[in-house]
Amino acid sequence: MKFLVKVVTTMTVVVTSSTALASIPAQSPKELLQSIPAQAQVCVSCHGVNGEGLGVAGPKLAGLSSEYIANQLTLFQIGSRQNPTMMAMAATVQGDAIKLVSDYFAAKPVKEITLQYRGDKVVITDVAEKLAYQGDWSRDIPACTSCHGPSGIGAENFPRLAGQEPTYLKNQLLAWQNGTRKGDVDNMMGNIANKLTAEEINALSQYFSAQIPVVKK
Amino acid sequence: MKLFYYLAAGMFINSVTAAELPDRQAQIPAIAKDPTALYLQPSALSTIPGGEFGDKVRLGYQLFVNSQQMRDQQVGNELNCVNCHMNAGNKANASPLWAAYMAYPAYRKKNDKVNSYEERIQGCFTYSMNGTAPASGSKELVAISAYSYWLAMSGLMNQFDLDNKVPELSDTELVKGGNREDFPLPVEVKSKLDQKALASLAGRGFPKLAKPEQAYSLERGEVVYLAHCQTCHGVDGQGIKMADVSALPPLWGPQSYNWGAGMHRVNTAANFIYENMPLGKSIQLSVQQAWDVAAYVNSHERPQDPRYKGNLSDTQKSYHQHDGYYGKAGAGSVLGSKAYPNAPASK
Repeated sequence: MKFLVKVVTTMTVVVTSSTALASIPAQSPKELLQSIPAQAQVCVSCHGVNGEGLGVAGPKLAGLSSEYIANQLTLFQIGSRQNPTMMAMAATVQGDAIKLVSDYFAAKPVKEITLQYRGDKVVITDVAEKLAYQGDWSRDIPACTSCHGPSGIGAENFPRLAGQEPTYLKNQLLAWQNGTRKGDVDNMMGNIANKLTAEEINALSQYFSAQIPVVKK
Repeated sequence: MKLFYYLAAGMFINSVTAAELPDRQAQIPAIAKDPTALYLQPSALSTIPGGEFGDKVRLGYQLFVNSQQMRDQQVGNELNCVNCHMNAGNKANASPLWAAYMAYPAYRKKNDKVNSYEERIQGCFTYSMNGTAPASGSKELVAISAYSYWLAMSGLMNQFDLDNKVPELSDTELVKGGNREDFPLPVEVKSKLDQKALASLAGRGFPKLAKPEQAYSLERGEVVYLAHCQTCHGVDGQGIKMADVSALPPLWGPQSYNWGAGMHRVNTAANFIYENMPLGKSIQLSVQQAWDVAAYVNSHERPQDPRYKGNLSDTQKSYHQHDGYYGKAGAGSVLGSKAYPNAPASK
């Protein structure tokens, strides 16, 4: 844990100095890699040094809670989540390393986004936005944001959806549908995913992925 | 779009024996769920009309799903109305507003008084929201009444294939509720449904759950809670905050409903939980588990009963002759003796 604190401090310095002297990298890629806990080295080629993700190959880990990451690692290990790459990779992270790695990525910052709260809009025409904020109770589908929070920012065991890679989101909803992803309490998410149509899954994946920081000039 | 309705004998039986005012928190009596019942289908929010009346309806919806807008004015905890009334107060068997609206005004023997719909909503603010009830005729009460009325009336009009335009009512009319002879109803509705039928629409309240086989137990309830509830509500019952709001609601402690709220009764909570939890699933627990976990949730300290006047046992005798833990032994102290304040400021 001491080591982790040191890493975070170093990272802060990196950001500060690179702002001041943008042309001179404060830390070479090699040095940056050396500042990551050894147990997390296996993760960074796909998920990035800062958990920023790498397209569909590596979903973003920054913005997820430590509890969620640890839980997912365990689910890959026991086969409740199935993905050939991740099942192999997760197997290499065992014991105390699970919490260490999870804490490391959970501590990575995400940029603030402009949040939309439930009730901000009354009439919603976009299919995905409507599901996100009002659900479809004729099919017993609650609003996504009732568990994933405003704009889907997530917390604890509810993953952040905002800004996540769209194909990853889509693949997860499909995985819940076809049973290759399990492990939630009382099959809550499986139950909801099973009621979604293919079009709705596409729309929701795009919608939440688009919830990204607004760049102000 | 036919509505099946039925009349339950003895539907105004109330287990509370409170003798004095104010107590407007009595539940619409719970009646057993009828699996063949068809429920009122209110129109989509997109059909709320433009103009001043429509604005009130829309505001009512917004206050209902994001009640935290009223935090520190009328709301004293982190709950939102929609936490107990699923689908923005539109879901049958989750105390839908359309059924409640048509059940008030209601005469209540306990205070020998006819309570208007607005008075019933005031009760929600005082107890469930642990806050300060908005004044009669206030913007908030008019808005929530307008939203409830619009759901009820559009649902009734849909049922009888009437023109979709819901007649507009004045604020004074809106806050009274729909259970009165002079309530303006389309003649097609009035000729088919008498007042009693309108006041007891199928799906109102939370459906009454059968009694558990064994007396409910806190020990078993804790096991149920840890297995089924803590993911959303936290091991400590404090819910989960996201972006400064309790996305998932606290079930006890300073930010939850108080000792006067209907939900603090074990039977009411059991009815609700069995039918509505986990969110979007319904009927996940056994009858016994629902009772056990309802007892467990309600055996924790929460904000004081607003009718408390300094003596716990007086409050208990006057208002707590029902399934609940107020005044009973808790973890280390008598429940209610360390109750949290009413209508606290958030910071």
